[in-house]
Amino acid sequence: MKLYAYCFTEDGDAPSESLTGIGGSQVRVLKAEGFSVLVSNFSADTVPVNRHNVLAHSAVIQRVLAHTTPLPLRFGALAGEEQLRNYVSAKHEALQEKFDSIRGCIEMNVKLISQGAEVVAEPHLPEPADKPGTAFLVQKKREILGSETRIAEAKRLTVWLEQHVGDLIKEASIEQGRTEKLILAASHLLERGVLEQYRARLKAAREERPELHFLVSGPWAPYSFANIELEFKSQFGVS
Amino acid sequence: MSSPFDHLIITEGGEPVDEVELSLLETLDHVLNRGLVIAGEITISVADIDLVFLGLNVLLSSVETANEVLRKRAVDDERKSAVDETPHTQE
Repeated sequence: MKLYAYCFTEDGDAPSESLTGIGGSQVRVLKAEGFSVLVSNFSADTVPVNRHNVLAHSAVIQRVLAHTTPLPLRFGALAGEEQLRNYVSAKHEALQEKFDSIRGCIEMNVKLISQGAEVVAEPHLPEPADKPGTAFLVQKKREILGSETRIAEAKRLTVWLEQHVGDLIKEASIEQGRTEKLILAASHLLERGVLEQYRARLKAAREERPELHFLVSGPWAPYSFANIELEFKSQFGVS
Repeated sequence: MSSPFDHLIITEGGEPVDEVELSLLETLDHVLNRGLVIAGEITISVADIDLVFLGLNVLLSSVETANEVLRKRAVDDERKSAVDETPHTQE
């Protein structure tokens, strides 16, 4: 029997309420070396990505977030009990460091979406000539310049957003120019206590730039700040 | 009494969004693309992924991730069926 793992919490922080997980299985707490892993029994070898399972995974983590800040696992983590215990044992120090950085925090996400050409101006280039080779090169140049323009705009918006909420956030993960429309996707780690202030600052920012479309979501467990990338640092002393 | 952390809130242009699909897309973006990975491989199956996710794919790379997995799976399936259909020769 495999275990489906949802998240880690620090020992004693796991919620005592009854939680239902993927496939309607009861969620239970596996204690290991000062940490708790929330798991449920899972009999298959793979986890189907469907609406029901995705929401079940997310719901368990959101319920835990109501009590404490968990370290969320990515969807689809199947492992045996021994494998989980070995993981905790091997990564104990890194897990502790990670909890030290996210304790008492939540994640908020801001997506800034272009609503029209006024945000990211396309470069002006001559109309393609009749020759196919010239037309191809002009089109390529247009794509490259357009991409550069978007990245430059995304950088400007990153600085602008930082000016509004920078003092409220502990850590940020920024993705610029993911698509033509999505100029900026920012994940912010912040203390629970400043959430309302953060929302008010975003509201003010939105009023400043009505030409931008804001998509704000949260509070989330710190999904964007959960990964442990310390293997090289901890074992070999380099990053 | 509920706390502000009990409910996920998505706002668009400052107004809370009730649209289930948008909420679902944001959830997908988080649970499929982010979070701690404890094993080298994530054991998911996207055979029955709901295609409604494709509606707003301009926003979220989770859909791109899912599509990529779907494409790879389709290629693998094609290869597998091609191998299955190859007549076996008796030695």
